[in-house]
Amino acid sequence: MAQSKISRRRLLTTAAAATSGLAFMGPWKHTRVYAQGAAKPIRLGITSDASGQYANSGAEDRRGMQMAIAEANAKGGVLGRKIETFHLDTETTPATGSRVAERMITRENCGFLIGAIHSGVANAISQVAQKYGVIYLNTNSSAPSEAGQNCHRVKFVFDANGSNFAKAAVQASIEKFGKKWVLLTNDYVWGHSTAAATKALLKQFGGEMVEEILVPQGTRDFSSQLLKIQQLKPGAVAAAIGGDDQKAMRQQIAQLGMGDKPAWINNQQDWPDVYGLPLDNLFGVFGTTWYYNLDLPGVSDFVKRYQAMFPDTFIRVPGNVFYNGYWATRELFAAIERAGSTNNIKVIKELENLKTSARDRMQHHDAWMDPNTHQMQQSIYLCTANIGTKDKDDMFKVLGNSSPQEVMDSDAKGACKLESYESTPTFDA
Amino acid sequence: MTSLIPHLVNGLTLGLLFALIALGFTLIVGVMEVINLAHGSLFTLGAYLALSTIGAGWFAGTPFGTWWLELPMASRYFIGLALGPVLAGLAGMLLELCLRPTYGKAPLYGLLLTFGAALVIEEVIRLGWGTGEQSMPVPQMISGAFLMGGLIFSTYKFYAAGFAIVAILLVWLFLERTPYGAIIKAGAHDSEMVRALGYDLARLRLIVFGFGSALAGMAGMVMAPIWGLRPHLGIDVVIPAFLIIVIGGVGSFWGAVAAAILVGLATGITGAYAPAWSLMSMYILLIAIVGFRARGLLGRRSALEN
Repeated sequence: MAQSKISRRRLLTTAAAATSGLAFMGPWKHTRVYAQGAAKPIRLGITSDASGQYANSGAEDRRGMQMAIAEANAKGGVLGRKIETFHLDTETTPATGSRVAERMITRENCGFLIGAIHSGVANAISQVAQKYGVIYLNTNSSAPSEAGQNCHRVKFVFDANGSNFAKAAVQASIEKFGKKWVLLTNDYVWGHSTAAATKALLKQFGGEMVEEILVPQGTRDFSSQLLKIQQLKPGAVAAAIGGDDQKAMRQQIAQLGMGDKPAWINNQQDWPDVYGLPLDNLFGVFGTTWYYNLDLPGVSDFVKRYQAMFPDTFIRVPGNVFYNGYWATRELFAAIERAGSTNNIKVIKELENLKTSARDRMQHHDAWMDPNTHQMQQSIYLCTANIGTKDKDDMFKVLGNSSPQEVMDSDAKGACKLESYESTPTFDA
Repeated sequence: MTSLIPHLVNGLTLGLLFALIALGFTLIVGVMEVINLAHGSLFTLGAYLALSTIGAGWFAGTPFGTWWLELPMASRYFIGLALGPVLAGLAGMLLELCLRPTYGKAPLYGLLLTFGAALVIEEVIRLGWGTGEQSMPVPQMISGAFLMGGLIFSTYKFYAAGFAIVAILLVWLFLERTPYGAIIKAGAHDSEMVRALGYDLARLRLIVFGFGSALAGMAGMVMAPIWGLRPHLGIDVVIPAFLIIVIGGVGSFWGAVAAAILVGLATGITGAYAPAWSLMSMYILLIAIVGFRARGLLGRRSALEN
């Protein structure tokens, strides 16, 4: 039997096309909660990553939204209207974020957009949202530029940013670990703007940046960078490495026994990035906005609600990413109720005046939305590994907390130029 | 300026690990002319299967599971190292059976099928082991770090590089010095002649695909303690593997090894001195080499070049 011969060139060309296709494909999902009353449902476009470097955090972010949406729908919806959701995978890619936002607004009639982990993606989505006047809640991306130079009238940022975390950690760490620092920076907007905040604080408090090592997103092997750090012998390393890259980095540092020396200052520690890792991978000092084991009213009930709604989820307790997703969604619904309307300008004004008591938010300090930058001002917790614990979920030991006033990003207000209400298109969901 | 030598050592180590990843990929391409886009997923599957073996995930909560966990870690690790690749090899054989209708047709059919298989395997991993990050435990004797030239190096990484050298040599000896290796090589050169000589070509393909997939699973198990384990790890693997076989020359065993070492050195050196370029370096290397020598380092001369 004759068999056709295939040319090597043809084989390779086709393979190259298909391989490059791998990077751009991802799952997408459409979830509908059918309206039970006559009122038109409120459509919420969920713009979170289901693939790429932040796929795990994106899933946790969505769970937070789902719980807030389920609670709102159980109470009869918002303004008597049920909440419908539509999700597309933003693939941890800014170009995809932009395309997804455009489609959600123009073809899927989403009245609000919500969700972000990667700051480049959040920035891309917010530019599209501003063009149409659609309110966008950046739940979990925390580049200082998100509420600084890339701020928009329609965008509200619910996570603390790199500058807040750096303020909570840098001064005390210089005193404890010395002035000589190396910065290990993910080479994209969050890494760069977080590193810029750290550099400014180092200068302010008499520290010295020996070198900044830029790490491309998607790095799996950190041995070259770790060898370089050993050769430079810093007192501390400020790492702004996120998502899956951070997991790989932590494991490699632990294997080398470099977790104790130099000191590692990881500005922000997202829960999905470390959950399930051995405790010896959780070295250093790091910041978070919330921890499931805080001894505050309401926390244990919140954990129980999470576990009842997600009984089969690998992450057995809610973390900061879930918390931000939940609260952003809940605050949006509350703002719509207070406005008595889904008109974007009315809801924006309500979100700009948002104030939440410490008790309601299950944090140590009252929180509020800064009307000049649209960033939530909230408590920051400095943590380290809870060495010796028998409870595999209880990984963090909280060292202390800072009030929003102590860690406020003082540069954001100058950098943020919000569009006027008049230049923001009117939109009613 | 920091010393270059540690970074050269590190680059060489990385290169050997890349060679381990590309080994099964190059074998399948060379013999079957199939670009197996599921190679990275089989790599990941092998590692997860080994993880479940080591941690008694198969028998958790049963008396056998308890007994198993009482065995020394080293015993469980090396049993996992054997079982994970065997199971990945069986999965590869299943994939080869599915590929059969595509033989002799345009390469796009095979590519799409292996791409689909990659997505299916990734979803199976998500369903079976969840989406969260997992770490692969290693025995005490190959964990930790050692000092060399005043710097700390990972013991495990050197073990993995040594493992890669042994694996490369064994595969080469198998291909060069055994009768079955000769048939495989002959099949790569002229499959019709092999069939005419009375050998079962279908069985040969099944075995080669299974063997290549087992090598992918073995590489996954060895690399997991360094890279960590997550369902979508495959995408991080298949692209470097593809670049390496193109740089080395498609179908060339030693070309792939040489290319992997060059990629490792490029990644290691740029990682130290221009880290922002470290991931890009393998693409630049590809352009530099293929631009001057289209058939790759040790690729066979094409009829067009005569």
